Amino acid sequence: MTVAPATIRATHVRLGDRLRDRSGTELTVTRIDEEFMGQANMLAFVEDSEEQWFKMPALRDGNVELVRRDDEAD
Amino acid sequence: MVADGLTGIDGRPIDPAILDRKAVLVVNVASKCGLTPQYEGLERLQARYGAAGFTVLGVPCNQFAGQEPGTPEEIQQFCSTTYGASFPLTEKLDVNGSHRHPLYERLTAVPDTEGRAGEVEWNFEKFLISPAGEVVGRFRPQIEPEDDQVTRAIERVLP
Repeated sequence: MTVAPATIRATHVRLGDRLRDRSGTELTVTRIDEEFMGQANMLAFVEDSEEQWFKMPALRDGNVELVRRDDEAD
Repeated sequence: MVADGLTGIDGRPIDPAILDRKAVLVVNVASKCGLTPQYEGLERLQARYGAAGFTVLGVPCNQFAGQEPGTPEEIQQFCSTTYGASFPLTEKLDVNGSHRHPLYERLTAVPDTEGRAGEVEWNFEKFLISPAGEVVGRFRPQIEPEDDQVTRAIERVLP
């Protein structure tokens, strides 16, 4: 199943999720850093692929825009 | 040679004379970042040490939350009118990932003061290159341009 665009908690993001950041840039998460610049209350989502390298930080208790999630159940 | 393969924000190759045999502080910059006011400190470094064989080299990069989205003209205009930046800027570059510029292949191999090498962490990470071309310092984004550890490192390598 592919979910429609939605807002989800940053802590609910999974590898493979497609996100859109505030600049409008989309990234497919290939890595989740458990802190950002030494701040434990933040995460950073990274796409490190042949397509692009892009980092998007987020507050742990904040929300992010999920563009697509390809669920393995399907 | 620091200038090898570098194109300026104006689309022309960077004149090697601007960088060669100088101490160069390479900084990935962004116009819409919380750290963008570091431009002020960078420009003060340029004013303080420029005549002594030092230059800042700004590297616009849009890989961190898309905080450098502008065209070359917009970036140049922003830097000069908002912060009076007089130091050279490159074209927009990738500093991380498989398409990172060769200059950053060299830079990111160097560890910071805590011994961590690898990816650039965020906008305004600073690398100091000696006049001999050796990467002699790496300062993470939170370290202000005029922090003692940066100025001491610059003064140690001035030609």
